[in-house]
Amino acid sequence: MEALIIMCLGILAGRFLIPKRAKKGNEWFSLGCTFLLILCMGVKLGRDDNFINDLSSLGLSSLLFFLIPTVLSILIVFVLTKKFMKKRKGDQEQEVDK
Amino acid sequence: MIIVFMILALGIGLVYGMSGIELTALNMITENTDIVLYILMFSVGISIGMQRGIFSKIKEYHMKIFIIPIGIIVGSFVGGVICSLILEIPIGYGTAITSGLGWYSLAGVTISGLANVEMGSIAFMSNLMREMFSFILIPFLAVHFNYYTCIAPAGATSEDTTLPVMLKYTNEETVVLSVFNGVICSFMVPILISFCLNMV
Repeated sequence: MEALIIMCLGILAGRFLIPKRAKKGNEWFSLGCTFLLILCMGVKLGRDDNFINDLSSLGLSSLLFFLIPTVLSILIVFVLTKKFMKKRKGDQEQEVDK
Repeated sequence: MIIVFMILALGIGLVYGMSGIELTALNMITENTDIVLYILMFSVGISIGMQRGIFSKIKEYHMKIFIIPIGIIVGSFVGGVICSLILEIPIGYGTAITSGLGWYSLAGVTISGLANVEMGSIAFMSNLMREMFSFILIPFLAVHFNYYTCIAPAGATSEDTTLPVMLKYTNEETVVLSVFNGVICSFMVPILISFCLNMV
């Protein structure tokens, strides 16, 4: 919940306080924070002895429990959004820009 | 390229964590990841706020806004049933594991407590894999499927950790849908886990 409130504050700041030219810099900043979070996640997992042990003993079952539900979620969301949510004008142009 | 750096960051973190080396600055950040997450959310908010007319676009969706979280939950649930049949474990356990929707910390702890440690460990790792692989899948799905589908692998994490990747590879409209999806999925995770474990 706190995260949502903070994001709303960010929305207000982006709308009324931050100049447009800071957009690119802000995107890089977001990405930097993401790298930092992933690094910290790695540190926490590396310090957890059980994680390495569990990975070797239950890794295959875990892989299956990740793979099948994720693939099914992707397929169902793709079919549903293709059917019910129209692609908006401009999306394609943005895709090309990436 | 970003994905390579993300995998690298995870690898460096793992090696650092296992090595036993102590760097005060990194230790401090690791112990206060909530603050980094809040800074990230503020930054993501700025990106959304800079887009004019985005909320009026979102309002146009009406009830269709629920399509994505429903698709994710149904896909995960059915996936849990299939995995249970393959691995010959109770369907209640299997669906509880996949009800984590990528929220590995909560799923792991809850299922360990309410079911058993083995199921909790599988829940932790499978949901962690879901979050990790989302970083790789999002750019692929943005090109080969559609922007909305990028939210599917992320599940409950679509409102926080995977959000910057979403911002990079999709558009601001999808980012707002992603946050909405994350809120709904995060709300549903504890309810779904309890419901599924009650089926055992």
